[in-house]
Amino acid sequence: MIAQLLLTALLMAILLYSWIAYRKSPAVALLSFLASLAGLYLVWLPNHASTLAHWIGIGRGVDLVLYVWVGISLILLLNLHLKLRAQMEVITQLARAIALANALPSRPGQEPPRPQSGD
Amino acid sequence: MTITRDNIWVVIPAFNEGQVIADVVAGVVREGYRVVLVDDGSADATGDFAAAAGADVVRHPINLGQGAGLQTGIAYALARGADAIVTFDADGQHRASEIALLIETLARENADFVLGSRFKGAAVNLPPRRRLLLKAATLFTRVTTGLDVSDAHNGFRALSRRGAQAITLRQNRMAHASEILHEIARSGLRYVEAPVTIEYSAYSLAKGQKISDSIVIMVDLFARRLHR
Repeated sequence: MIAQLLLTALLMAILLYSWIAYRKSPAVALLSFLASLAGLYLVWLPNHASTLAHWIGIGRGVDLVLYVWVGISLILLLNLHLKLRAQMEVITQLARAIALANALPSRPGQEPPRPQSGD
Repeated sequence: MTITRDNIWVVIPAFNEGQVIADVVAGVVREGYRVVLVDDGSADATGDFAAAAGADVVRHPINLGQGAGLQTGIAYALARGADAIVTFDADGQHRASEIALLIETLARENADFVLGSRFKGAAVNLPPRRRLLLKAATLFTRVTTGLDVSDAHNGFRALSRRGAQAITLRQNRMAHASEILHEIARSGLRYVEAPVTIEYSAYSLAKGQKISDSIVIMVDLFARRLHR
């Protein structure tokens, strides 16, 4: 009973988060909303997890939850990876802007003669 | 297309190439081209050597990778009003005397991209294993881009102003070589290949690509497709 109450509190917090996050990223909000609803359902009716697991060919309800959790973690990892790449692109643009703003022309006097270009 | 030699910019990205960069830059400057060296956050004096040898120097505050260096150099050259841009390796593998051939091909063929090919030209001291890896990469690129190219990972290219404006490199690291070909395919602009000589030395081989890098490149290319 204690575990069930603790898990319920956690999952309710995620429900609240999904409600707040809906405006910013609807896809993430919707997914976490559905995941926490499913979590609440299985916390209070654990037998249903076993029935569902048997139905799709997995031995125990716990195993089913574990597999789903691993799946979700991998998707989150990929999402994080993509976010890091996007962040790297922003850093690159920033570094490029700094580099171009501080460009050093070739040192006068040491250049070999070349035709005048006008710019 | 009229291209004057003093309005051709040679872009050289470099990272810790202090040992060879002065000679490489001087070789290009001697041919009468403008050089922009992108110092990719080197720990040594690469930028100083290059500036003394006659290159404009743009310095990344942090190391970003060769692809990012090329894009920075191209942006710099375009801002300076370049008619044509040549990309050139910093490690001494390319011959400055062959830049003229690429530019001449650009003008003669009325192309926007001229891609150097070591397999149409010459690859001096190319180890057999490296040759196999390059051939495999070329096959992969032909299949994924639909471009009819004989050498996929050659850093020696010439771009018209229009061509340079039409492409954007977002792959900072080594996957940019494939990306540039994807960008060329996407732009729909005219490209041709020209024979060039790539001369391998112990120095350039030690700095070059390894088989394991190809896996990293594949991951980078795949990830780009996911978050376009």
